[in-house]
Amino acid sequence: MSSNNAVSLYLDPQIRDWVLFPITLVMILVGILRHYVMVLLQTPPKSLPRAALREQRALTRSQVLRATSANSPIPPTYYKSISRHLSEAFDAGTYLKDGPPKEGDTPKMPPNPMTDPAAMDGMMSGMKTQMVMMVPQMVIMGWINFFFQGFVLIKLPFPLTLGFKSMLQRGIETTDMDVRWVSSLSWYFLNFFGLNGLYRLILGGDNSADSSRDMTASPFGAQAQAPGQAQDYSKLFKAEKDNLEFSEGIYSWVGEGVEDRILRRYGKI
Amino acid sequence: MSTAAETAAQLIYPPNIKYNSALTSVKFLASCFAGAVAGILGLTNWTGFALFLVSTLFTSLCINVINCHGHPAKYIPGGWTGLLNPGTDNASTFVLVWTLFYGIVHVY
Repeated sequence: MSSNNAVSLYLDPQIRDWVLFPITLVMILVGILRHYVMVLLQTPPKSLPRAALREQRALTRSQVLRATSANSPIPPTYYKSISRHLSEAFDAGTYLKDGPPKEGDTPKMPPNPMTDPAAMDGMMSGMKTQMVMMVPQMVIMGWINFFFQGFVLIKLPFPLTLGFKSMLQRGIETTDMDVRWVSSLSWYFLNFFGLNGLYRLILGGDNSADSSRDMTASPFGAQAQAPGQAQDYSKLFKAEKDNLEFSEGIYSWVGEGVEDRILRRYGKI
Repeated sequence: MSTAAETAAQLIYPPNIKYNSALTSVKFLASCFAGAVAGILGLTNWTGFALFLVSTLFTSLCINVINCHGHPAKYIPGGWTGLLNPGTDNASTFVLVWTLFYGIVHVY
């Protein structure tokens, strides 16, 4: 353990002016740029024809109805009538995009993601997102490694183990220096993790400059786009009909027995 | 059968939840200032992290008294745990600002 607690390096203030602040500034600006590029690149969702839209909305309506069925704000007459109407419609296939299935029709294959143009758009936009996220980070790392290499930038106020020395002191060929003296690349990493809060403040909660979202979103983004398009609505409707019956079983109205509850609260019973 | 959690979730009013983002801003700014204080005072090692902890507790206390009037469960999803949570990424923000100010004041 080096006894260099009293001895400290004296660094040129110009390093502070020309390296510390510029790196932070560049990272903030690149983050904001990335967010706005993403906003511009978002293709507006393609508007579906009325029949296809009706299909999706019918499913959503029944899901909304089921979501609160155990504590439902809807009185029994209305709940039961909506539920029965939807059940019959799903059964007869009146909401299907291509009309109710005629007798003797072979069941249709769900559209293949590769050939269905709507699904391709979804996948492309997912991949575009990932590219836009990764490229600026690589570019900035390269820029920092090229220009700001070979000198000590800052002293970390907390200790780290020796294992970090190779990563954080890249380019400085000493074996003895305290791990707390680090090069510019480690300042890049500190900024990378620490600026997310700032982006959330400036750009609002749902910004695309957030590096913590890159970690969680990128592996799954590409897969999640494709399955959404290739669904067979007739099967979905059958499943939804069963769900509706189940929910009707557990349905109960919040206003059930409300007269007794009020009277009890005011002590009349 | 719906669980108590689902019933509780049904009673939450979404626009008010969105307004709670004001609290995340407060926590972020608190961690920034805590970082600045730690850096300027030259705190190192565990004393710096202790300051972060103290600042988190103090922020939660202020929010509790001024905004929640003593009942965090009524205003913040997650009750006490949601209140004491220093916010996502705020620890790294603290470290960043702490390092920055420590470097500016004590190293340069």
